[in-house]
Amino acid sequence: MKLLPELLVVDDNPADVALVSEALAGGLRHTKINSVGDGVEAMAFLNRREKYANSLRPDLVLLDLNLPKKDGLAVLAAMKANPDLRRIPVVIFSTSQLRKDVVRSYEVGANCYVRKPGNLNEFFAAVKSVEEFWFNFVNLPPKENDGLSNHERIAD
Amino acid sequence: MTVTAAAPAAAAGSEPLPSNSTQLRVLIVEDSPLDSELMLHGLQRGGGFDVTCDVVQTASAFREGVKKNPPEIVLADYNLGEWKGVETLEILRQEGLDIPVIIVTGALGDVAAVECIKQGATDYVLKDGLTRLPEVVRRALREKKERNLRRQAEQDLARKVDELARSNADLEQFAYVASHDLQEPLRMVTAYTQLLAERYAGKLDANADKYIGYASEGAQRMQVLIQDLLAFSRVGRNGFTHGNVDCNSVLEEVLTSLAPAMQECGAVVTHDALPSVWADRTQVAQIFQNLIGNAIKFRGQEPPVIAVEAEQADQCWRFSVSDNGIGIAPEYAETIFVVFQRLRARTEYPGNGIGLAICKKIIEHNGGRIWVEPQAGSGSSFKFTLPGHGPDPADGARS
Amino acid sequence: MKTREADILLVEDSQNDADLAIHALRHENLANNIFIARDGEEALDFLFCRGPFADRSFDNPPRLVLLDLKLPKIDGLEVLKQVKSDPRTNKIPIVILTSSKEDRDLIVSYGLGVNSYIQKPVDFDQFRETVKTVGLYWLVVNQQLNGVKKATAQVSS
Repeated sequence: MKLLPELLVVDDNPADVALVSEALAGGLRHTKINSVGDGVEAMAFLNRREKYANSLRPDLVLLDLNLPKKDGLAVLAAMKANPDLRRIPVVIFSTSQLRKDVVRSYEVGANCYVRKPGNLNEFFAAVKSVEEFWFNFVNLPPKENDGLSNHERIAD
Repeated sequence: MTVTAAAPAAAAGSEPLPSNSTQLRVLIVEDSPLDSELMLHGLQRGGGFDVTCDVVQTASAFREGVKKNPPEIVLADYNLGEWKGVETLEILRQEGLDIPVIIVTGALGDVAAVECIKQGATDYVLKDGLTRLPEVVRRALREKKERNLRRQAEQDLARKVDELARSNADLEQFAYVASHDLQEPLRMVTAYTQLLAERYAGKLDANADKYIGYASEGAQRMQVLIQDLLAFSRVGRNGFTHGNVDCNSVLEEVLTSLAPAMQECGAVVTHDALPSVWADRTQVAQIFQNLIGNAIKFRGQEPPVIAVEAEQADQCWRFSVSDNGIGIAPEYAETIFVVFQRLRARTEYPGNGIGLAICKKIIEHNGGRIWVEPQAGSGSSFKFTLPGHGPDPADGARS
Repeated sequence: MKTREADILLVEDSQNDADLAIHALRHENLANNIFIARDGEEALDFLFCRGPFADRSFDNPPRLVLLDLKLPKIDGLEVLKQVKSDPRTNKIPIVILTSSKEDRDLIVSYGLGVNSYIQKPVDFDQFRETVKTVGLYWLVVNQQLNGVKKATAQVSS
């Protein structure tokens, strides 16, 4: 069974979500992108509640910091506190360059922090390098409850 | 005993009526009716005052009197039997009233006289020297008036300084918030106009390509402008740490980042050994980046030759960044430092004219000056000063 | 003798792998100072500024730690656990670079908060490439704590 890498984009700006899709469109990896617009929806998706009951857990989360209802760091903290979710890598993707945001993100357990560039080409490059690094390079943890690692799943 | 002349009474508790040269409201503290008559006489006949006057004998009557109907002047006998005239000064202090007190007395040793003045009495007059009284009173009133004026002026000044500080803070915050909050929607416009340009190039009609191009360029220019404005508004806000900055290493970093631009036009930058200054490192880098960047940009036909020098001046270092570029006409030497002032058309030289304004703001914030001098031949020499060391701890910490 | 501060801490007991990694990092100009710890205990002493490294400061952590799992004295997972559970050190990015393919290692590592986990390629050239990519990603793409990557002031005119 061949499964595509799953990316969850948590961002309240649909324009930015569309840009992420554009960046990855036509790439070789065929990453499947799901998106949610606020922190509460993010938790519902990750915990497969209600309308998300049939969603797959993502392999990577691209997380903005400023979100309505529940902000990025609160989502991150909730993920780290949940044994089912804690091993999913989280990349903070935010326009903020404030040192305190970077520091707090690392403290709460973000895997890394990438600034959203203001320039379109740089934005695309950043998203593509995140995809390349995390889905091509890094070994991701197996999704819990199926015991297979990603490399065994994506039988290339 | 109350003697009242025909003069309108002030409302209880208010300031005494302003005295023209003859009207005078007096409170006399005197237990001898004869002596109070004499004092009154001295003022009316001798001084030509039109006097409204009350007389009290006890401390409590005095206190009540000054509160109910504050006089312009108090004449108090030194010796009042159970209490002393100087005690009126303490009562006035307690009530927070600034009313001149003149001690009028029969005989007063020098020691007692000095004591009265020390306690705050304006003056003292001997009962057998009452001819002096009008002059003393007039002087006391004059001094009081001057005191009031000065106090008023100080209050006005303090209030204006306060308002100015608040207004400045508001403006700075506005500039910061505006430019900060504008970045986000602007990012959307820039990204999507560019995306439209790329995805739909040649797929709509020719005008569409052109129009999308204009929108895209405009958005990108605005992005740079907002970033510059943000940098400008941030100068002087918190978040900058002042310390010893080695200008040599800062210059090296700046030259490294300018290396591509320098290589492109064959620019050569020479420099002396530079000193250390007391400033924020990032801001010093910004100054060099802007000045050297400009020298490269506004070059003439020949490759830019740029010299960075420093010499010791009074309490500070004077730097100069000199070039062989297109130069600046002397009549524009001041305006170039104004935000968004550009001397050349955008088509000739790119940029939006905020770099020098930022330099000026940073330098002035550090107590320095920046100015430009023409170079012999062509080109300009930008000079600026920065403090060599931090504030003297003895002066009290400033930043 | 004062301990140098390090940009990258490489925790690796294999001399070969250490040499390859250093070569790759130096080649890309990614780090000025690379410190090699040969076992878990040395790595912990270094990061916790104790023992032979008592003159190091918590304010100057390495920008990246490349950590092998199979180490003498104290193994990689234990190092990871201690570093990620202490507020003085938990912000330091740790990338595990190991030959282990065990799922258990993957699960436990990410559970403990490893920033990323990469299996060492067997091929020497690929290994060099891997280190180079990791270095580039973590030191350039990624936003670091001591923010200023190669920052100088903005260019304005």
